[in-house]
Amino acid sequence: MPTDAFLALEGVRYRFPGDAAATVDGVDWAIPRGTIHCLLGRSGCGKTTLLKLAAGLLAPDAGTVRIDGAVVRGPSPRVGFVFQAPTLLEWLSALDNVLLPVSLKRRPRAADREAARDLLAAMGLGDLVERRPAALSGGQQSRVAMARALIAAPDLLLLDEPFAALDALTREELQDDLLRLCAARGTAALFVTHDIAEAVYLGDRIGVMAAGHLIHEGAVPLPRPRPAGIRYEAAFGAACRRLRAIMDGPSPSVGRAA
Amino acid sequence: MRARLASALLLAGLLIAWEAWCRSGRVSPLVLPAPSGVAETLWGEVASGRLWPHLRVTVTEMALGLAAGTGLGLGAGVLLAEWPALHRVLRPYVLASQLVPKLALGPLLILWFGFGLTPTVVITALICFFPLFENTLTGLQQVDPASRELFRMLGASRGQTLLRLKLPAALPVILAGFRVAIVLALVGAVVGEFVGGRQGLGASIIAAQSVMDSSLIVALFVVITGLGMVFYEAARGLEALILRRYARG
Repeated sequence: MPTDAFLALEGVRYRFPGDAAATVDGVDWAIPRGTIHCLLGRSGCGKTTLLKLAAGLLAPDAGTVRIDGAVVRGPSPRVGFVFQAPTLLEWLSALDNVLLPVSLKRRPRAADREAARDLLAAMGLGDLVERRPAALSGGQQSRVAMARALIAAPDLLLLDEPFAALDALTREELQDDLLRLCAARGTAALFVTHDIAEAVYLGDRIGVMAAGHLIHEGAVPLPRPRPAGIRYEAAFGAACRRLRAIMDGPSPSVGRAA
Repeated sequence: MRARLASALLLAGLLIAWEAWCRSGRVSPLVLPAPSGVAETLWGEVASGRLWPHLRVTVTEMALGLAAGTGLGLGAGVLLAEWPALHRVLRPYVLASQLVPKLALGPLLILWFGFGLTPTVVITALICFFPLFENTLTGLQQVDPASRELFRMLGASRGQTLLRLKLPAALPVILAGFRVAIVLALVGAVVGEFVGGRQGLGASIIAAQSVMDSSLIVALFVVITGLGMVFYEAARGLEALILRRYARG
């Protein structure tokens, strides 16, 4: 495990009260600053639970979660979370939704508004800042949610299948927005998805999870930056096929032994 | 517009049919007064000034009962939504208090508070309590769990979560409860006066009944209906205003 890990999961275990088996069963993983890690797995494999453990929204039964060396005991302002649904407050404008993390701490200043406007403009929503969520498309709402997670300049972004409900082209645009913003701000990301191509396109490294275990972890053998067309290249397809074989192949019990 | 015209025409048609039926002499004016007679009585009450003190009393009872009942209902709804343990303990009592026919409490309330405004205000408040309580509780409990998790993630305090997420999200449901309470407040005030009122529109109906003045009774119905419509429309206006202001954030 690299010592410069920003987020470190050490033997993390979590069982929901009333469940027979642990949902997350002894996961070790480390995410260095400024890198994008994708967590891939079928639905119900425990990846969202792992993300909530990393966020401090759940407390592990065993093991520790560290952020920048300190044990996580609850949600931290240094970590931004993007939920599966945009979860925007429908009575606030796009701008005020982005400012929510600030306005919960103090009255937003002109500089905060400027920063929120810049973030929205960077995602092509410069003209829509006063619109309310009902007047935005699904892709635009997801962008507002991403801007909200970034407004407090977190060191780490945790994303729980944020683009799963979007159409394919919009999803690709948002993936590029995410890559661009993370690179520009040096933000690390842990991105949970069940979409293999999404994981390969976004990730520096990919972890595969099954039945509560991290059954595989490895680097993505593709250069950066990745143009949109890379999705149709042989190396991309090969990487996807290899991951698919891992997801299909070893049963969780083999994974536990590994 | 066309629907309004049709409504007005329907009303005119009904009034004409009613008038014709009464003038045909097949029904005693004691049983069913003609609309023209009712209008005359109503005008007499208005012009002589006899109506106003009664109207003022009923409006006062309604407003006080509504304010007390909705305030308590809102407060209790928030309290029980925020403390589920309290909810589990108190729920049967709240339900029981609402299942008691509140008008049956009238004689007891008169013993406690005497004749006059207070028993009617208490009955009205008891009636208005439940829709606000129930809608506030339901509205607060229905807040999207993902949004609550968002507020947790952002380190929001309990008070912030209540004021900036739960109450605004529940506002449409709470205001719908308020509209129901308005209608019930009128019923509470008028029927409360039946039991213990000396003044007010409901008390006037009882007085008119004792002298078999059916024309006055119907005239009072008209006033009560008009009063209800004014209050209901005012509530709708208030609702639109609040929702729009909240929209601006």
